[in-house]
Amino acid sequence: MPAPVTGQLGAEGRYWDALAEGRLELPRCAGCGRWHWPAVWRCGDCGSWEHGWTATRLAGSVFSWTRTWHRFGGAEGFETPFVTVLVTLADAPVRLLGVVEGDDTALRIGATVLGRVGRTPFGEAAIPAIRWSLAA
Amino acid sequence: MTASLSGATAVAGVGYRQYRRGTAPAPERGVLVRAIVDACEDAGFDPADVDGFVSYGDDKNEPVRLAPDLGTKDLAWSGMVWGGGGGGIAGAFGLAAAAIVTGQATAVVVFRALVEGNSGRLSAAVMAHHLNDHMAGVGMVAPAQVCAMRAQRLFDHHGVPRSVCEDLVRASYHHGARNPEAVAYGRELDLSDFRTARWIAEPFRLFDCSRENDGAGALLLVSAERARDLRKPPVSLLGVAQGAEKGWGDLLENDDIDLYPTAGFRPIARRLWAQTGLTPADIDVVQLYENFSAQGVASLIDHGFCTYESVAEVVRFENLIAPSGKLPINTSGGNFAHGFVHGIGLAVEAVRCLRGESANPVPGAKTCLLAGGPGAPTVSSAVFGAA
Repeated sequence: MPAPVTGQLGAEGRYWDALAEGRLELPRCAGCGRWHWPAVWRCGDCGSWEHGWTATRLAGSVFSWTRTWHRFGGAEGFETPFVTVLVTLADAPVRLLGVVEGDDTALRIGATVLGRVGRTPFGEAAIPAIRWSLAA
Repeated sequence: MTASLSGATAVAGVGYRQYRRGTAPAPERGVLVRAIVDACEDAGFDPADVDGFVSYGDDKNEPVRLAPDLGTKDLAWSGMVWGGGGGGIAGAFGLAAAAIVTGQATAVVVFRALVEGNSGRLSAAVMAHHLNDHMAGVGMVAPAQVCAMRAQRLFDHHGVPRSVCEDLVRASYHHGARNPEAVAYGRELDLSDFRTARWIAEPFRLFDCSRENDGAGALLLVSAERARDLRKPPVSLLGVAQGAEKGWGDLLENDDIDLYPTAGFRPIARRLWAQTGLTPADIDVVQLYENFSAQGVASLIDHGFCTYESVAEVVRFENLIAPSGKLPINTSGGNFAHGFVHGIGLAVEAVRCLRGESANPVPGAKTCLLAGGPGAPTVSSAVFGAA
Protein backbone atom coordinates (compact mmCIF):
# COMPACT_ATOMS: atom_id res chain seq x y z
CA MET A 1 0.00 0.00 0.00
CA PRO A 2 1.46 3.43 -0.96
CA ALA A 3 2.01 5.97 1.82
CA PRO A 4 -0.54 8.80 1.94
CA VAL A 5 0.51 12.07 0.32
CA THR A 6 -0.96 14.15 3.16
CA GLY A 7 -1.79 13.33 6.77
CA GLN A 8 -1.58 10.00 8.49
CA LEU A 9 -2.85 6.66 7.24
CA GLY A 10 -5.59 5.29 9.46
CA ALA A 11 -7.25 1.87 9.27
CA GLU A 12 -8.38 2.49 5.68
CA GLY A 13 -5.39 1.04 3.80
CA ARG A 14 -7.49 -1.40 1.80
CA TYR A 15 -9.80 1.44 0.69
CA TRP A 16 -6.83 3.09 -1.05
CA ASP A 17 -5.62 -0.20 -2.55
CA ALA A 18 -9.06 -0.83 -4.06
CA LEU A 19 -9.54 2.78 -5.16
CA ALA A 20 -6.17 2.74 -6.93
CA GLU A 21 -7.58 -0.19 -8.95
CA GLY A 22 -10.77 1.71 -9.74
CA ARG A 23 -13.00 -0.06 -7.20
CA LEU A 24 -14.77 1.02 -4.01
CA GLU A 25 -14.46 -1.24 -0.97
CA LEU A 26 -15.69 -0.24 2.47
CA PRO A 27 -15.26 -1.86 5.88
CA ARG A 28 -18.02 -3.54 7.84
CA CYS A 29 -17.68 -4.93 11.36
CA ALA A 30 -17.58 -8.74 11.36
CA GLY A 31 -19.05 -8.77 14.87
CA CYS A 32 -22.15 -6.57 14.60
CA GLY A 33 -22.38 -5.71 10.92
CA ARG A 34 -21.99 -1.98 11.45
CA TRP A 35 -20.45 0.04 8.60
CA HIS A 36 -17.57 2.16 9.87
CA TRP A 37 -16.42 5.22 7.98
CA PRO A 38 -13.86 6.50 8.69
CA ALA A 39 -12.39 3.01 9.02
CA VAL A 40 -11.54 1.78 12.51
CA TRP A 41 -9.28 -0.93 13.88
CA ARG A 42 -11.73 -1.80 16.64
CA CYS A 43 -15.51 -1.53 16.54
CA GLY A 44 -16.42 0.94 19.27
CA ASP A 45 -19.90 -0.56 19.46
CA CYS A 46 -19.26 -4.30 19.86
CA GLY A 47 -15.52 -4.47 20.51
CA SER A 48 -14.68 -6.66 17.51
CA TRP A 49 -11.29 -6.27 15.81
CA GLU A 50 -12.44 -8.08 12.64
CA HIS A 51 -13.69 -6.24 9.59
CA GLY A 52 -14.85 -7.45 6.21
CA TRP A 53 -14.28 -5.25 3.17
CA THR A 54 -17.35 -5.03 0.96
CA ALA A 55 -17.35 -4.06 -2.71
CA THR A 56 -19.78 -1.15 -3.01
CA ARG A 57 -21.25 0.68 -6.01
CA LEU A 58 -20.22 4.27 -6.69
CA ALA A 59 -23.82 5.45 -6.70
CA GLY A 60 -25.75 7.69 -4.38
CA SER A 61 -27.33 11.07 -3.78
CA VAL A 62 -26.00 14.54 -2.93
CA PHE A 63 -26.00 15.21 0.82
CA SER A 64 -24.43 18.64 0.47
CA TRP A 65 -22.10 20.57 -1.84
CA THR A 66 -19.95 23.64 -2.29
CA ARG A 67 -18.64 25.41 -5.38
CA THR A 68 -15.10 26.67 -4.76
CA TRP A 69 -14.13 29.95 -6.47
CA HIS A 70 -11.11 31.06 -4.45
CA ARG A 71 -7.83 29.57 -5.64
CA PHE A 72 -6.78 27.88 -2.41
CA GLY A 73 -3.21 26.64 -2.20
CA GLY A 74 -3.33 22.84 -2.55
CA ALA A 75 -6.38 22.76 -4.84
CA GLU A 76 -4.44 23.47 -8.04
CA GLY A 77 -5.55 20.08 -9.38
CA PHE A 78 -8.91 21.64 -10.27
CA GLU A 79 -9.77 24.66 -12.40
CA THR A 80 -11.92 27.12 -10.44
CA PRO A 81 -14.78 27.16 -10.02
CA PHE A 82 -15.25 23.49 -9.20
CA VAL A 83 -17.99 21.70 -7.31
CA THR A 84 -17.25 19.30 -4.46
CA VAL A 85 -20.13 17.10 -3.33
CA LEU A 86 -20.68 14.95 -0.28
CA VAL A 87 -22.60 11.88 -1.43
CA THR A 88 -24.68 9.44 0.60
CA LEU A 89 -24.05 6.04 -0.97
CA ALA A 90 -27.05 4.09 -2.24
CA ASP A 91 -25.82 0.75 -0.84
CA ALA A 92 -24.17 1.70 2.46
CA PRO A 93 -24.82 4.26 5.22
CA VAL A 94 -21.63 6.09 4.32
CA ARG A 95 -20.90 9.53 2.83
CA LEU A 96 -18.01 10.05 0.43
CA LEU A 97 -16.59 13.27 -1.02
CA GLY A 98 -15.85 13.82 -4.68
CA VAL A 99 -15.61 16.47 -7.37
CA VAL A 100 -18.42 16.83 -9.93
CA GLU A 101 -17.51 16.34 -13.57
CA GLY A 102 -19.70 17.26 -16.51
CA ASP A 103 -22.90 19.29 -16.47
CA ASP A 104 -23.88 20.47 -12.96
CA THR A 105 -27.17 22.21 -13.75
CA ALA A 106 -29.07 19.46 -11.88
CA LEU A 107 -26.97 20.06 -8.74
CA ARG A 108 -29.07 20.13 -5.56
CA ILE A 109 -29.28 18.27 -2.27
CA GLY A 110 -30.88 14.90 -3.02
CA ALA A 111 -29.77 14.76 -6.66
CA THR A 112 -28.78 11.29 -7.92
CA VAL A 113 -25.12 10.77 -8.84
CA LEU A 114 -22.92 8.06 -10.30
CA GLY A 115 -19.18 7.89 -9.68
CA ARG A 116 -15.92 6.74 -11.15
CA VAL A 117 -12.40 6.80 -9.80
CA GLY A 118 -10.07 9.49 -11.16
CA ARG A 119 -6.71 10.90 -10.10
CA THR A 120 -6.11 14.30 -8.57
CA PRO A 121 -2.70 15.88 -9.11
CA PHE A 122 -1.32 17.05 -5.77
CA GLY A 123 2.26 18.26 -5.89
CA GLU A 124 4.25 15.43 -7.45
CA ALA A 125 1.61 12.84 -6.57
CA ALA A 126 -1.69 11.72 -8.13
CA ILE A 127 -4.23 10.88 -5.43
CA PRO A 128 -6.98 8.38 -6.37
CA ALA A 129 -10.26 10.25 -5.87
CA ILE A 130 -13.91 9.94 -6.81
CA ARG A 131 -15.51 11.96 -9.62
CA TRP A 132 -19.28 12.19 -9.51
CA SER A 133 -21.64 12.82 -12.42
CA LEU A 134 -25.17 14.12 -11.98
CA ALA A 135 -27.85 11.97 -13.55
CA ALA A 136 -29.55 13.79 -16.42
CA MET B 1 -16.65 15.33 47.25
CA THR B 2 -16.65 17.08 43.88
CA ALA B 3 -14.80 20.37 43.65
CA SER B 4 -16.87 23.00 41.85
CA LEU B 5 -15.30 25.34 39.33
CA SER B 6 -18.22 27.72 39.42
CA GLY B 7 -17.11 31.08 40.72
CA ALA B 8 -13.92 29.63 42.24
CA THR B 9 -11.62 31.51 39.87
CA ALA B 10 -11.66 34.91 38.21
CA VAL B 11 -9.93 36.79 35.44
CA ALA B 12 -7.88 39.53 37.07
CA GLY B 13 -6.17 41.04 34.06
CA VAL B 14 -6.26 41.11 30.27
CA GLY B 15 -3.77 42.11 27.60
CA TYR B 16 -4.29 42.30 23.86
CA ARG B 17 -2.05 43.49 21.04
CA GLN B 18 -3.33 43.37 17.48
CA TYR B 19 -1.68 44.33 14.20
CA ARG B 20 -2.50 44.08 10.52
CA ARG B 21 -1.46 40.68 9.17
CA GLY B 22 2.25 40.67 8.43
CA THR B 23 3.02 43.90 10.34
CA ALA B 24 3.73 42.83 13.96
CA PRO B 25 6.62 44.88 15.40
CA ALA B 26 8.28 41.78 16.86
CA PRO B 27 8.36 38.04 16.26
CA GLU B 28 5.57 35.98 17.81
CA ARG B 29 7.11 35.31 21.21
CA GLY B 30 8.00 38.99 21.63
CA VAL B 31 4.43 40.07 20.94
CA LEU B 32 3.14 37.39 23.31
CA VAL B 33 5.43 38.46 26.17
CA ARG B 34 4.18 42.01 25.71
CA ALA B 35 0.53 40.89 25.94
CA ILE B 36 1.20 38.79 29.06
CA VAL B 37 2.93 41.71 30.79
CA ASP B 38 0.00 43.94 29.74
CA ALA B 39 -2.39 41.48 31.42
CA CYS B 40 -0.30 41.46 34.60
CA GLU B 41 -0.07 45.27 34.67
CA ASP B 42 -3.84 45.46 34.16
CA ALA B 43 -4.22 43.30 37.28
CA GLY B 44 -1.40 44.89 39.27
CA PHE B 45 0.36 41.52 39.41
CA ASP B 46 4.07 40.66 39.14
CA PRO B 47 4.61 38.64 35.91
CA ALA B 48 7.28 36.62 37.74
CA ASP B 49 4.55 35.18 39.97
CA VAL B 50 2.58 33.67 37.08
CA ASP B 51 3.10 29.92 37.56
CA GLY B 52 0.87 28.41 34.89
CA PHE B 53 0.12 28.80 31.17
CA VAL B 54 -2.59 27.34 28.96
CA SER B 55 -3.26 27.71 25.25
CA TYR B 56 -5.18 26.05 22.39
CA GLY B 57 -5.18 25.67 18.62
CA ASP B 58 -1.64 24.31 18.25
CA ASP B 59 -0.02 27.50 19.59
CA LYS B 60 3.73 27.19 19.11
CA ASN B 61 4.94 29.10 22.19
CA GLU B 62 5.96 26.55 24.81
CA PRO B 63 5.49 28.22 28.18
CA VAL B 64 8.93 27.35 29.54
CA ARG B 65 10.43 29.50 26.76
CA LEU B 66 8.55 32.53 28.08
CA ALA B 67 10.11 32.20 31.52
CA PRO B 68 13.34 34.20 30.93
CA ASP B 69 11.40 37.28 29.75
CA LEU B 70 8.75 37.05 32.45
CA GLY B 71 11.15 36.23 35.27
CA THR B 72 9.06 33.16 36.07
CA LYS B 73 10.09 31.79 39.45
CA ASP B 74 8.27 28.49 39.33
CA LEU B 75 6.49 27.00 36.30
CA ALA B 76 3.92 24.67 37.86
CA TRP B 77 1.39 24.10 35.06
CA SER B 78 1.41 24.15 31.29
CA GLY B 79 -1.29 22.71 29.11
CA MET B 80 -3.08 22.98 25.81
CA VAL B 81 -6.53 22.02 24.61
CA TRP B 82 -6.22 19.68 21.63
CA GLY B 83 -7.33 20.72 18.16
CA GLY B 84 -6.02 22.81 15.30
CA GLY B 85 -8.87 25.32 15.18
CA GLY B 86 -10.30 27.70 17.74
CA GLY B 87 -12.60 25.11 19.29
CA GLY B 88 -10.53 24.90 22.45
CA ILE B 89 -10.44 28.58 23.39
CA ALA B 90 -13.00 28.43 26.22
CA GLY B 91 -11.80 25.00 27.34
CA ALA B 92 -8.41 26.60 28.00
CA PHE B 93 -10.04 28.44 30.92
CA GLY B 94 -11.25 25.08 32.21
CA LEU B 95 -7.69 23.73 32.25
CA ALA B 96 -6.47 26.87 34.00
CA ALA B 97 -9.25 26.81 36.59
CA ALA B 98 -8.76 23.09 37.24
CA ALA B 99 -5.12 23.77 38.08
CA ILE B 100 -5.99 26.57 40.48
CA VAL B 101 -8.91 24.81 42.20
CA THR B 102 -6.80 21.70 42.81
CA GLY B 103 -3.80 23.66 44.05
CA GLN B 104 -1.52 22.70 41.19
CA ALA B 105 -0.95 26.32 40.22
CA THR B 106 -1.99 29.69 41.62
CA ALA B 107 -1.87 32.21 38.75
CA VAL B 108 -2.45 30.90 35.23
CA VAL B 109 -2.26 32.86 31.99
CA VAL B 110 -4.50 31.75 29.10
CA PHE B 111 -2.92 32.96 25.86
CA ARG B 112 -2.82 32.73 22.08
CA ALA B 113 -0.28 34.36 19.80
CA LEU B 114 -0.18 34.52 16.03
CA VAL B 115 2.35 36.28 13.86
CA GLU B 116 2.30 35.28 10.22
CA GLY B 117 6.05 35.62 9.75
CA ASN B 118 6.52 32.92 12.40
CA SER B 119 3.51 30.64 12.08
CA GLY B 120 2.38 31.25 8.49
CA ARG B 121 -1.26 31.70 7.55
CA LEU B 122 -3.60 30.45 10.26
CA SER B 123 -6.04 28.92 7.76
CA ALA B 124 -3.20 26.83 6.32
CA ALA B 125 -2.06 25.74 9.79
CA VAL B 126 -5.57 24.70 10.80
CA MET B 127 -6.02 22.73 7.61
CA ALA B 128 -2.61 21.08 7.92
CA HIS B 129 -3.88 19.75 11.25
CA HIS B 130 -6.82 18.07 9.49
CA LEU B 131 -5.71 17.50 5.91
CA ASN B 132 -5.62 13.95 4.53
CA ASP B 133 -5.77 12.36 1.10
CA HIS B 134 -9.57 12.11 1.26
CA MET B 135 -9.74 15.91 1.41
CA ALA B 136 -6.77 16.75 -0.82
CA GLY B 137 -8.10 14.43 -3.54
CA VAL B 138 -11.31 16.44 -3.84
CA GLY B 139 -9.86 19.94 -3.54
CA MET B 140 -11.13 20.45 0.05
CA VAL B 141 -8.03 22.14 1.40
CA ALA B 142 -9.38 25.03 3.50
CA PRO B 143 -11.66 25.37 6.53
CA ALA B 144 -13.87 27.70 4.44
CA GLN B 145 -14.81 24.86 2.09
CA VAL B 146 -15.65 22.38 4.84
CA CYS B 147 -17.79 24.96 6.64
CA ALA B 148 -19.38 26.09 3.35
CA MET B 149 -20.63 22.59 2.64
CA ARG B 150 -22.21 22.38 6.09
CA ALA B 151 -23.72 25.84 5.67
CA GLN B 152 -25.26 24.79 2.36
CA ARG B 153 -27.18 22.03 4.13
CA LEU B 154 -28.11 24.32 7.03
CA PHE B 155 -29.75 26.68 4.51
CA ASP B 156 -31.14 24.33 1.87
CA HIS B 157 -32.20 21.34 3.93
CA HIS B 158 -32.87 22.77 7.40
CA GLY B 159 -34.44 25.98 6.15
CA VAL B 160 -32.29 28.53 7.96
CA PRO B 161 -32.69 31.76 5.95
CA ARG B 162 -29.46 33.13 4.48
CA SER B 163 -30.44 36.63 5.61
CA VAL B 164 -29.53 35.82 9.23
CA CYS B 165 -25.87 35.61 8.24
CA GLU B 166 -26.04 39.12 6.85
CA ASP B 167 -27.55 40.38 10.12
CA LEU B 168 -24.84 38.65 12.16
CA VAL B 169 -22.01 40.11 10.08
CA ARG B 170 -23.65 43.54 10.06
CA ALA B 171 -23.92 43.54 13.87
CA SER B 172 -20.23 42.69 14.17
CA TYR B 173 -19.32 45.58 11.85
CA HIS B 174 -21.67 47.93 13.71
CA HIS B 175 -19.66 47.26 16.88
CA GLY B 176 -16.29 47.19 15.14
CA ALA B 177 -16.98 50.54 13.50
CA ARG B 178 -17.29 52.01 17.00
CA ASN B 179 -14.23 50.33 18.52
CA PRO B 180 -10.96 52.26 18.04
CA GLU B 181 -9.00 48.99 18.42
CA ALA B 182 -10.92 47.28 15.57
CA VAL B 183 -9.78 46.84 11.98
CA ALA B 184 -13.23 48.03 10.90
CA TYR B 185 -13.09 51.18 13.08
CA GLY B 186 -15.05 53.93 11.36
CA ARG B 187 -16.40 51.61 8.65
CA GLU B 188 -19.91 50.15 8.71
CA LEU B 189 -20.57 47.12 6.54
CA ASP B 190 -21.76 48.22 3.12
CA LEU B 191 -24.60 45.82 2.41
CA SER B 192 -24.20 45.97 -1.34
CA ASP B 193 -20.49 45.12 -0.89
CA PHE B 194 -21.51 42.20 1.34
CA ARG B 195 -24.01 40.90 -1.20
CA THR B 196 -21.81 41.24 -4.26
CA ALA B 197 -18.37 40.46 -2.84
CA ARG B 198 -16.47 37.70 -4.62
CA TRP B 199 -17.37 34.11 -3.89
CA ILE B 200 -14.94 32.13 -1.75
CA ALA B 201 -16.78 28.81 -1.57
CA GLU B 202 -20.55 28.87 -2.06
CA PRO B 203 -22.57 29.85 -0.07
CA PHE B 204 -19.77 32.02 1.40
CA ARG B 205 -18.68 35.32 -0.09
CA LEU B 206 -15.69 37.27 1.18
CA PHE B 207 -17.39 38.96 4.15
CA ASP B 208 -18.80 35.66 5.44
CA CYS B 209 -15.22 34.71 6.32
CA SER B 210 -13.16 35.90 9.29
CA ARG B 211 -9.95 37.85 8.87
CA GLU B 212 -6.50 37.00 10.09
CA ASN B 213 -4.37 39.38 12.14
CA ASP B 214 -1.02 39.34 13.83
CA GLY B 215 -1.12 39.73 17.57
CA ALA B 216 -1.43 38.11 20.95
CA GLY B 217 -3.89 38.03 23.80
CA ALA B 218 -3.44 37.01 27.44
CA LEU B 219 -5.81 36.66 30.39
CA LEU B 220 -4.64 36.15 33.96
CA LEU B 221 -6.75 33.72 35.99
CA VAL B 222 -6.39 33.46 39.79
CA SER B 223 -8.57 32.28 42.66
CA ALA B 224 -11.66 34.41 43.27
CA GLU B 225 -10.29 35.27 46.69
CA ARG B 226 -6.95 36.50 45.35
CA ALA B 227 -8.66 38.42 42.53
CA ARG B 228 -10.52 40.57 45.06
CA ASP B 229 -7.22 42.08 46.23
CA LEU B 230 -6.01 42.99 42.74
CA ARG B 231 -6.41 46.25 40.83
CA LYS B 232 -9.41 45.59 38.57
CA PRO B 233 -12.90 44.27 39.35
CA PRO B 234 -12.67 40.46 39.02
CA VAL B 235 -14.63 38.64 36.33
CA SER B 236 -15.65 35.19 37.58
CA LEU B 237 -15.49 32.01 35.56
CA LEU B 238 -19.00 30.64 36.23
CA GLY B 239 -18.77 27.53 34.08
CA VAL B 240 -16.90 25.88 31.24
CA ALA B 241 -17.31 22.77 29.09
CA GLN B 242 -15.35 21.24 26.23
CA GLY B 243 -15.42 18.14 24.07
CA ALA B 244 -17.64 16.36 21.56
CA GLU B 245 -20.44 13.79 21.56
CA LYS B 246 -20.66 10.49 19.73
CA GLY B 247 -21.33 11.11 16.06
CA TRP B 248 -19.28 14.33 15.83
CA GLY B 249 -15.70 15.19 15.01
CA ASP B 250 -13.14 14.64 12.21
CA LEU B 251 -15.22 11.81 10.71
CA LEU B 252 -14.59 12.46 6.99
CA GLU B 253 -17.90 14.38 6.94
CA ASN B 254 -19.75 11.33 8.29
CA ASP B 255 -21.06 13.11 11.37
CA ASP B 256 -24.47 11.99 12.60
CA ILE B 257 -27.10 13.29 10.18
CA ASP B 258 -28.65 15.59 12.81
CA LEU B 259 -25.28 16.89 13.99
CA TYR B 260 -23.73 17.57 10.56
CA PRO B 261 -25.18 21.10 10.10
CA THR B 262 -24.56 22.09 13.73
CA ALA B 263 -21.47 23.75 15.14
CA GLY B 264 -20.86 20.84 17.54
CA PHE B 265 -22.00 22.60 20.72
CA ARG B 266 -25.08 20.58 21.68
CA PRO B 267 -23.27 18.54 24.38
CA ILE B 268 -21.25 21.55 25.47
CA ALA B 269 -24.41 23.64 25.97
CA ARG B 270 -26.13 20.81 27.87
CA ARG B 271 -23.23 20.52 30.29
CA LEU B 272 -22.66 24.26 30.57
CA TRP B 273 -26.27 25.05 31.46
CA ALA B 274 -26.43 22.12 33.90
CA GLN B 275 -23.15 23.15 35.54
CA THR B 276 -24.09 26.82 36.00
CA GLY B 277 -27.83 26.50 36.60
CA LEU B 278 -28.22 29.18 33.92
CA THR B 279 -30.24 29.16 30.70
CA PRO B 280 -29.78 31.12 27.47
CA ALA B 281 -32.32 33.63 28.83
CA ASP B 282 -29.90 34.44 31.67
CA ILE B 283 -27.10 35.50 29.31
CA ASP B 284 -26.72 39.27 28.90
CA VAL B 285 -24.11 39.34 26.12
CA VAL B 286 -22.39 36.80 23.87
CA GLN B 287 -18.86 36.82 22.50
CA LEU B 288 -19.46 34.48 19.60
CA TYR B 289 -16.55 32.93 17.75
CA GLU B 290 -17.40 33.21 14.05
CA ASN B 291 -14.86 31.72 11.68
CA PHE B 292 -17.64 31.86 9.09
CA SER B 293 -21.05 33.51 9.29
CA ALA B 294 -23.18 30.35 9.11
CA GLN B 295 -21.13 28.61 11.80
CA GLY B 296 -21.73 31.57 14.13
CA VAL B 297 -25.46 31.22 13.54
CA ALA B 298 -25.27 27.44 14.08
CA SER B 299 -23.45 28.07 17.36
CA LEU B 300 -26.28 30.31 18.61
CA ILE B 301 -28.77 27.58 17.68
CA ASP B 302 -26.71 24.88 19.42
CA HIS B 303 -26.49 26.95 22.59
CA GLY B 304 -30.28 27.25 22.68
CA PHE B 305 -30.76 30.93 21.85
CA CYS B 306 -33.02 29.94 18.96
CA THR B 307 -34.02 27.00 16.76
CA TYR B 308 -33.96 26.34 13.02
CA GLU B 309 -37.53 27.61 13.05
CA SER B 310 -37.09 30.72 15.22
CA VAL B 311 -33.61 31.79 14.09
CA ALA B 312 -34.84 34.75 12.02
CA GLU B 313 -36.68 36.20 15.03
CA VAL B 314 -33.54 36.17 17.18
CA VAL B 315 -30.64 36.70 14.77
CA ARG B 316 -31.79 40.17 13.69
CA PHE B 317 -29.46 43.15 13.44
CA GLU B 318 -31.43 45.27 15.93
CA ASN B 319 -31.53 42.42 18.42
CA LEU B 320 -27.77 41.79 18.20
CA ILE B 321 -26.41 45.28 18.83
CA ALA B 322 -25.51 47.02 22.08
CA PRO B 323 -26.94 48.67 24.04
CA SER B 324 -30.51 48.22 22.83
CA GLY B 325 -30.62 44.62 21.54
CA LYS B 326 -31.75 41.77 23.78
CA LEU B 327 -28.86 39.56 22.65
CA PRO B 328 -25.83 41.74 21.97
CA ILE B 329 -23.09 39.77 20.26
CA ASN B 330 -19.44 40.55 19.60
CA THR B 331 -19.38 43.97 21.21
CA SER B 332 -15.79 44.59 20.04
CA GLY B 333 -16.61 43.65 16.46
CA GLY B 334 -15.66 40.00 16.86
CA ASN B 335 -13.47 38.02 14.50
CA PHE B 336 -15.10 39.68 11.49
CA ALA B 337 -14.65 43.34 12.38
CA HIS B 338 -12.46 43.68 15.49
CA GLY B 339 -9.74 41.35 14.28
CA PHE B 340 -8.75 37.71 14.44
CA VAL B 341 -5.93 36.39 16.57
CA HIS B 342 -7.46 32.94 16.63
CA GLY B 343 -10.37 34.23 18.70
CA ILE B 344 -8.48 35.31 21.83
CA GLY B 345 -9.82 38.85 21.34
CA LEU B 346 -13.30 37.49 22.09
CA ALA B 347 -12.19 36.25 25.51
CA VAL B 348 -10.58 39.62 26.23
CA GLU B 349 -13.80 41.37 25.19
CA ALA B 350 -15.87 39.10 27.46
CA VAL B 351 -13.89 40.47 30.40
CA ARG B 352 -13.88 44.09 29.23
CA CYS B 353 -17.62 43.95 28.63
CA LEU B 354 -18.39 42.70 32.15
CA ARG B 355 -16.08 45.36 33.62
CA GLY B 356 -17.90 48.09 31.69
CA GLU B 357 -14.78 48.77 29.58
CA SER B 358 -16.19 47.78 26.19
CA ALA B 359 -16.26 50.29 23.35
CA ASN B 360 -19.90 49.19 22.97
CA PRO B 361 -21.13 48.90 26.56
CA VAL B 362 -23.98 46.62 27.55
CA PRO B 363 -25.39 48.45 30.58
CA GLY B 364 -25.69 46.27 33.66
CA ALA B 365 -24.39 43.13 31.95
CA LYS B 366 -23.77 40.42 34.57
CA THR B 367 -23.21 37.34 32.42
CA CYS B 368 -21.31 36.76 29.21
CA LEU B 369 -21.11 33.58 27.14
CA LEU B 370 -17.84 32.93 25.35
CA ALA B 371 -18.70 30.46 22.57
CA GLY B 372 -15.55 28.88 21.10
CA GLY B 373 -14.63 28.05 17.53
CA PRO B 374 -17.70 26.49 15.88
CA GLY B 375 -17.52 23.41 13.71
CA ALA B 376 -14.19 22.28 15.14
CA PRO B 377 -13.99 18.61 16.15
CA THR B 378 -13.34 19.62 19.78
CA VAL B 379 -15.36 22.66 20.81
CA SER B 380 -15.84 24.53 24.08
CA SER B 381 -17.76 27.36 25.73
CA ALA B 382 -17.61 29.25 28.99
CA VAL B 383 -19.75 31.63 30.98
CA PHE B 384 -18.20 34.59 32.78
CA GLY B 385 -19.88 36.71 35.44
CA ALA B 386 -19.41 40.29 36.65
CA ALA B 387 -18.33 40.85 40.23
